[in-house]
Amino acid sequence: MIFDILGITCTYGATPVLQDASLQIHTSDMVGIVGPNGSGKSTLLRAMSRVLQPLHGKVMLEEEDIYKVPATQIAKKMAVVVQEQSLSFPFTVRDLIMMGRIPHMKRFASEGRLDIGIVEQAMDLTDTTRLADRQVNELSGGEKQRVLLARALAQEPKILLLDEPTSYLDLNYQIEIMQLLAKLRRQYGITIIMVLHDLNLASRYCDYLVLIKQGTIHAIGPPQHVITADMIKDVYGCEIKVEQFDLAAPPYILFHNDDHRAVKAVRPDWVHVVGGGGSGGGLLRSLVKAGWNVSIGVVNVADSDWDEANRLGVSIIEAHPFSGLGMEEARRNRDMMNKADFTILAGAAFGMGNLLNLECVIAEAERGGRVVVIDNPAIITRDYTGGEATRLYKQLLDSGAHRVNNEWEAVRMIEGERP
Amino acid sequence: MGYRSTLKRSAILLLLATALLGSLIIGITIGAVFIPPAEIANILLSHIPGLGGGLGTNRLPEHDIIIMTMRFPRVILAGLVGAGLALAGATFQGLFRNPMADPYVIGVSSGAALGAVLSIMIHPAWGIPMRFGIPVFAFVFAIITIALVYNLARVGGKVPIMTLLLAGIAINTILSAVESLCLYFSGEQLHQIVFWLMGGFSGASWDYVFMFLPYGIFGAAIIFVFARELNALLLGEESAQHLGVEVERVKRYLLMAAALLTGACVSVSGMIAFVGLVIPHIVRMLFGSDHRILLPAVALTGATFLLLADSASRVLIAPSELPVGIITALVGGPFFIFLLRRQKNALF
Repeated sequence: MIFDILGITCTYGATPVLQDASLQIHTSDMVGIVGPNGSGKSTLLRAMSRVLQPLHGKVMLEEEDIYKVPATQIAKKMAVVVQEQSLSFPFTVRDLIMMGRIPHMKRFASEGRLDIGIVEQAMDLTDTTRLADRQVNELSGGEKQRVLLARALAQEPKILLLDEPTSYLDLNYQIEIMQLLAKLRRQYGITIIMVLHDLNLASRYCDYLVLIKQGTIHAIGPPQHVITADMIKDVYGCEIKVEQFDLAAPPYILFHNDDHRAVKAVRPDWVHVVGGGGSGGGLLRSLVKAGWNVSIGVVNVADSDWDEANRLGVSIIEAHPFSGLGMEEARRNRDMMNKADFTILAGAAFGMGNLLNLECVIAEAERGGRVVVIDNPAIITRDYTGGEATRLYKQLLDSGAHRVNNEWEAVRMIEGERP
Repeated sequence: MGYRSTLKRSAILLLLATALLGSLIIGITIGAVFIPPAEIANILLSHIPGLGGGLGTNRLPEHDIIIMTMRFPRVILAGLVGAGLALAGATFQGLFRNPMADPYVIGVSSGAALGAVLSIMIHPAWGIPMRFGIPVFAFVFAIITIALVYNLARVGGKVPIMTLLLAGIAINTILSAVESLCLYFSGEQLHQIVFWLMGGFSGASWDYVFMFLPYGIFGAAIIFVFARELNALLLGEESAQHLGVEVERVKRYLLMAAALLTGACVSVSGMIAFVGLVIPHIVRMLFGSDHRILLPAVALTGATFLLLADSASRVLIAPSELPVGIITALVGGPFFIFLLRRQKNALF
């Protein structure tokens, strides 16, 4: 165990912001602290970073009370990247990163070869080498964040604390930073503890999540146990849907399209679309616009329907690009249809690779599920299986599926059945 | 980088030290009475023990007196005060992370001024010689003021920079009012008080130099020791703490050191404007924010600047003298505006 937080209570003035919080963190863990605004997650981080001494309780770092040992000793083990860092003075990026060496250097010493080497390595890892001679007050938000991370790494920390490391970053840098942190943990065994706003990022990258609600620790555990619809409703007070694509995958939060507090959730509102090759895109848009929860399957990664589904935030059952779908995807596809209130088959082309999709829809119709088939264009023109798809298609229409001519009719039809 | 920057650092400091030496020579050479440089060199050498009375013989005794009891202590004092004010200014600017901070920002100078004014006023009644009364009173009042401001600003165990500034402004206002009150009732001494307040070195003597030195050296030494911490503090107090700096303690030491230095400067020379504000700025623009180079460079530049300004004050309307504070403000102000216009968004 590297960190042992024993029942700490922190206050700002008279208001308690963190109450009796206890937490154990093991070496090389990657831990996310999550919770609503003002719940006390940054306070917890500040208490752990030796800037906010708790009123009660102790913060033990490697069996030492961090508030009882000199700051320098802590700074040699632990680096912190804070959220709103003022960098408004003329320092070069290199000089700023070099400040990370302060706890390791003697008072009047100049930087030695060792320090320079470590700084260069930190710049290399964070892709900031080409910024080395720029002035820090001229950097963009993303560059600033990476430079601050480099400075933290120059401290050669065993533990890295970060307060919302991705909050000012573009999507590509968010992923890059998280992957870099994962790599630091993997290669150097650095323990990483961070406050995160984005629950999906937290779920994707952290081993453990600490969920804080109104100043107390509400739940600690792996993402699968913490990111659940009930837990989120309890702490954040909003309805969300959690998708877990398979047992090994991290849970993923889906947001409803518009206001969805409590009322709507009980209505049947889930449509599963079977499409591919661009046949389902327009339908997905119409459904999402009408406020339905939508899923789509099985589509290949990078298929145009897959792109559109991603853009709309629709949950996807996906198969690898340019490969047929296997039994596992088919099983999940069936499962989705089962849970959905409606299944709509878009006018997709069929080859041997996706024939299983058609069979799944037939099974759903035969089960008695509500299935709508968009019978356009004619099946003959999109059958690339030598007649097999056409045969199955007829079987589908015979097994109780509703036939419509286009996607608007399909949407109208299910809207009509919506309670 | 390490080797190159050490080399660059040495080169910069050598250059500035040479400039200071040059201005020292200018300061000693010029004045109301012309004394040839060769004779000045002779006079100076004759006072180095062991040289047996110097090399040449063409030294007038009255010139010896002018050099040794007037010009020499005067240039030394001007240099020391210039270095002290600039150093204190750089420290306050670093501590407050605010480019508008100067040595007078938390009211030390108002305290010193009030002390000096009181000393001048009670002189006729108490008969304390003003040569000693003014600096001693000024210094004691400066120390009382900083203690007052510091304790007013303390919240729990911490001294937030914001409350420190506010407490400084409040105390400043009160002290200035008391000072104005004194001025109002000062009668005959008014001219003397106003002259002192404007600042200058016309009263400079070796006594002043020796009065200044212990506090000056002590204050400056503390500031130099914490150069690295000042760098870290530029990142903000929490970030400095994360780098292992005991922020509250370092802040306390630096505040006390800068206040001591300011108090010592004001007591021996009055209120000299702009040195403490502008010099750190200029040096920062030229050499960057690294206090390990900034602090010595600021001290050398401040000394050079005030020395030259004082030399100008002696000759511009000779045989009369201008208060040096007027010159520093007249030169410093426009230069500061020029810098502001040129680098609107990158001042700090």
